[in-house]
Amino acid sequence: MTTSQKQAAQAQDAGTAIALTNCAKTFADGTRALMPFDLSITAGETLVLLGPSGCGKTTILRMIAGLEFPDAGGAIHFGDDDVTRQSIEQRRVGMVFQSYALFPNMTVAENVAYGLKVQKVGKAERDQRVREMLEMMHIDMLADRRVDQLSGGQRQRVALARAIAPRPRVLLLDEPLTALDAKLRVRLRTEINALLRKLGITAIYVTHDQEEAMALGDRIVVMQKGEIAQIGTPQEIYRAPKTPFVADFVGASNCLKVDIENGRALLGKVDVDVSPAWNASQTTDGLSEIYFRADGLALCAADDAHFTARVEAVSYLGERLRVTVSGIGEDAVLVDTDPDTNMTPGETVHCRLVPERLTVFAAS
Amino acid sequence: MRRTGVFYAQLGLTILLCLFIVVPIMMSALAGVTVNVFQGLSSGLTLRWIFEVWDLYASSIFLSLWLAIACLFVTLIAGVPLAYVLVRKPGRATRLFEELLTLPVAIPGLALALALLITYGGVSGYRSSWLFILTGHVLFTLPFMVRSVAAVMSAMDMKTLEEGAASLGAGFWRRFFTVIVPNAKPGILAGALMVVTLSVGEFNLTWMLHTPLTKTLPVGLADAYASMRLEIGSAYTLIFFVLIMPLLIAMQILANRGSKPARATAEDK
Repeated sequence: MTTSQKQAAQAQDAGTAIALTNCAKTFADGTRALMPFDLSITAGETLVLLGPSGCGKTTILRMIAGLEFPDAGGAIHFGDDDVTRQSIEQRRVGMVFQSYALFPNMTVAENVAYGLKVQKVGKAERDQRVREMLEMMHIDMLADRRVDQLSGGQRQRVALARAIAPRPRVLLLDEPLTALDAKLRVRLRTEINALLRKLGITAIYVTHDQEEAMALGDRIVVMQKGEIAQIGTPQEIYRAPKTPFVADFVGASNCLKVDIENGRALLGKVDVDVSPAWNASQTTDGLSEIYFRADGLALCAADDAHFTARVEAVSYLGERLRVTVSGIGEDAVLVDTDPDTNMTPGETVHCRLVPERLTVFAAS
Repeated sequence: MRRTGVFYAQLGLTILLCLFIVVPIMMSALAGVTVNVFQGLSSGLTLRWIFEVWDLYASSIFLSLWLAIACLFVTLIAGVPLAYVLVRKPGRATRLFEELLTLPVAIPGLALALALLITYGGVSGYRSSWLFILTGHVLFTLPFMVRSVAAVMSAMDMKTLEEGAASLGAGFWRRFFTVIVPNAKPGILAGALMVVTLSVGEFNLTWMLHTPLTKTLPVGLADAYASMRLEIGSAYTLIFFVLIMPLLIAMQILANRGSKPARATAEDK
């Protein structure tokens, strides 16, 4: 092993920490794509940027890549290395695109070798590395194929192998699974997850799919209109959303409008103690909204019930039964229950809120 | 299927129309190898006229081939980067430039030649050299090269391909020559054949720009028809035909290959 290779290998083992400081982005036409923000990614971490289209998640990724530059005052560091003014060619990043961006004029092996050739890695070493990469992605039998002979899933494997082969300091993935069908998406997602853990490489993954974000991220950054709405582990994002937007975007959410008085939610004749809600200490009295998922409401006996509701629809999800009920708030509410329960639309049911699974926000 | 009278009527009309176009070509080719065209084939066949044309006009033929190659060289060097810029940086300025570039195709060749003569006619060394004609040919053929290359370039996602290559550390020139140019090859090939064919056959412009010492193939042909025996003019056409046909056929083959899905060609390997 040469010295530079050793360094590269070590760099990859350790991963590279990334820090964005006071970064904002205003496009040439004056639109503000990103409000100033700080973001640090620890070495070896997989960070997912999650949000609806146009929220600025891709702009952050492109900023880290060196395809966009932050407005004056912003700084980007890879470890101790200030890369703010470096172009993408100098940053040593690996990129995986939604549209694959494989070179159609090259075979699979040539595609994977491209970055190594640019780095002037010798032929023997290059061939060796290409073979390793292809084996790791289980596509060694496709080495001599042309790109247009591959399926979407195979193409994205090649793209991953190509991005990882030159031992980048950070791997950037821009909606890599969006163009694939649902089944393949889940399979490749699992593989990518295992790959990222195995390599210990710092990775930034952009998606609009919350399930994908949950499955892959060590931490998730939820973005909304050019601002970071919340950063946290998948559990934190799911269980303890900080804003109604996050609660609504991450997973199907129910919402009830209530009045809060001294830690009690009042809705018509119903009076529920919400002090166990995870963010109860931050809530204030007055018009509020209670957010909860399908497990925040439970079917119960008439005596314990907070509400009496009418079953609108029942869907059997295998491990649980998801029931749509009306008559609780303005909108229909989703409730999960035992899959063996017998239930038909039109039926009357009784249910109660599970206070520790509620999130309370002041009404917007 | 039973063939009806209508079918045979259509077939007859088609054959008649084809003959209407093909017969004059055959007649002309035949005239080039007939001893005396006014006596007809009974006077016998000969290669004499062909040799005579070769003696008289070999230099024109070589000049034309040389001009075509030089023209191809210039349009490649200028046209491929131009097409790249037009596709990669779309905007009002590039649109305007594209229009300007196409202008020489719309303007009559004579007018273009006149403009060149008025402007550079006084520069005697330039005026009398083959470079003067090359200038005209490049002006006329460049838009064809640019259009052909740009069409292929806009069909591939150049921006993402370049971003992919850049993320792997490749600088601009490396990206251009290892990713952009190889993937634009069908367009470059089609453009190249078009440029060579147009340059070899160009008459309008060249006729105005030529001097007795810089006569090209088509100009020589006009000269032969105007001042020589009909047999010589016809023999000339025959030579022209032999030169230009392979180019046209190659162009057709390339166009066919371009329209087929790449998969078919890939599996040949």
